[in-house]
Amino acid sequence: MASSLAIDGLEAGYGTVRVLNGLSLTVGAGETVALLGTNGNGKSTLMKCIMGLAVPMAGSIRAEIDGVTHELAGARTEDIVSLGIALVPEGRRLFPRLSVEENLTLGAYRPAARAGLRRGLEYCFEAFPRLAERRRQLAGSMSGGEQQMLALGRALMSEPRILLVDEPSVGLAPLLVKRTIEKIRELKESRNLTVLMAEQNFVQALSIADRGYVIVHGEIAFTGNSAAELNDNELIRKFYMGL
Amino acid sequence: MPISASFRRAIPAASCSPAVVDKRSRGKRAWKGKPNGMDPLLELLLNAVVAGLLLGAFYAAVAVGIAIAFGMLDIPNLAHPAFVVMGAFAVWLLNDAFGLDPILAGILCLPPFFLLGVLLYQAYYACFESRGDNALQGLAFFFGILFVTEVVLILVIGADYRTVAAPYIGPNWRIGGIDLPLRMLVPALVSLLMIGGLHLLLTRSFIGRAILAVSQDPLALQLMGASPVRTKRLAFGLSIATAAIAGALLIIIQPVEPSIGREFIGRAFAVVVLGGMGSFVGMLMAAMVLGVTESLVATLFSPSWAPAIAFGFLLPTLAIRAGGLMGRKL
Ligand SMILES: Nc1ncnc2c1ncn2[C@@H]1O[C@H](COP(=O)(O)OP(=O)(O)OP(=O)(O)O)[C@@H](O)[C@H]1O
Ligand SMILES: [Mg+2]
Repeated sequence: MASSLAIDGLEAGYGTVRVLNGLSLTVGAGETVALLGTNGNGKSTLMKCIMGLAVPMAGSIRAEIDGVTHELAGARTEDIVSLGIALVPEGRRLFPRLSVEENLTLGAYRPAARAGLRRGLEYCFEAFPRLAERRRQLAGSMSGGEQQMLALGRALMSEPRILLVDEPSVGLAPLLVKRTIEKIRELKESRNLTVLMAEQNFVQALSIADRGYVIVHGEIAFTGNSAAELNDNELIRKFYMGL
Repeated sequence: MPISASFRRAIPAASCSPAVVDKRSRGKRAWKGKPNGMDPLLELLLNAVVAGLLLGAFYAAVAVGIAIAFGMLDIPNLAHPAFVVMGAFAVWLLNDAFGLDPILAGILCLPPFFLLGVLLYQAYYACFESRGDNALQGLAFFFGILFVTEVVLILVIGADYRTVAAPYIGPNWRIGGIDLPLRMLVPALVSLLMIGGLHLLLTRSFIGRAILAVSQDPLALQLMGASPVRTKRLAFGLSIATAAIAGALLIIIQPVEPSIGREFIGRAFAVVVLGGMGSFVGMLMAAMVLGVTESLVATLFSPSWAPAIAFGFLLPTLAIRAGGLMGRKL
């Protein structure tokens, strides 16, 4: 059974600065949804709210996992991770002075994932042969592309049902961006995930997304029910691509 | 009184003011020792090296708690040596009142010391860490704890030197011309056992890996489903618990009085920094280097020079290898 996410009227910010202004979106079971938006529009803030790293001032975040609905707003990060929700954070946030294997192993920290540690490692090393070659290398000394693979692998180690990915393309060469995005599609398919991916790289994001949202100033400015709809959209041309 | 000067006395003086024993007298005894074909100077040096290794193993037992707090958790626990002395007195009380073996007494002290560490971290977290300004204030906090602990010990136990009794205090093994005083050998083995156990815990368990990761990126650790505060609380509890064992080893090795911990502050921090901040293998190596240097200097020159020369040796090493001997460098 796949899992889904429904966000309704979400308001959040930092101190007195409001960043999300009543944002609503849904990610259906088994979907890959792209969250498109330029710098500073609140993509990462939304991701932090879902993971309990930022506390919403209003609104709800509901996750349905295996037929049970959970309210995430106000829940602790550990409990949210325990439900089977994982985030590949902006900037990857690896443990630089731990080895590749230690980083992956920490990914399986949540109690339900610990038993599957060996299986998870095998899966990651098969999906990312590069990580297998470098299993003893310190994460901080890996290339940007390798680090992104490791960050993805580490998130998968928790055996998530819902995977959130925040700007996987940042800092990668065009060819690597394509490969990373393609990898996310592959993983999503083989692990039966529900994916919400924040991206600025419009073309690449839409190559794997079923649907997408455009976020402007903390609100959904446009909902595209297909990649084609987003491609043709006036707003995207104006706000997003600067055309 | 530097410990390196006192540890060679075959029987520690009972609670009297310990006079510094000149190691050269010990050296002369070796010269007159039963002839066994070994060059006397070589024998003297070998003895000094072995004594230094045993001493280094003990230094490592004191330093391991600092390696956890300072090297892995970024908690500047200057007061650690005071907790070691507190452990020594707790062991003395149990040994004196019930005749408990000092090492067993140290093990019995583990739970209360763990709890003490947990409470201390809770206070440190509430006052400093959660507010974000923890560098200098934290240092002052632990400096205060150091003095308070000392004063409390003096008020409760008095300023006298205390000793414990155990079957391994006194006997001396002599293997091929090398002296192995059991009151140095037993603590060294216990220290290695404790450090080995902690190393396994840190590298093989989930909570251990979380402890290694927590200061590198607490937010990322949260995303793994671990609580950074709970992880640090547990790790700091462990760090203080090691002081109970180190205290037991200290009072086996030499008589203890409340302010004796100050002698170890510099040594223990140097060992941790030289070892590469949080690397147990590096810390052990650094402790051995310090122990052997001190022992050689004490044997060949004078015990009172030992700490200065040992540090004189440590500083250039640090200058050459800024990351320490075995730190995880990028
Ligand atoms: N920790 C913080 N404290 C204060 N303000 C913050 C903080 N993090 C983000 N902001 C502000 O919130 C707004 C939205 O930031 P957010 O990181 O969510 O944007 P984003 O869409 O992810 O942008 P980018 O594409 O650059 O990552 C920005 O104006 C930013 O300055
Ligand atoms: Mg962002």
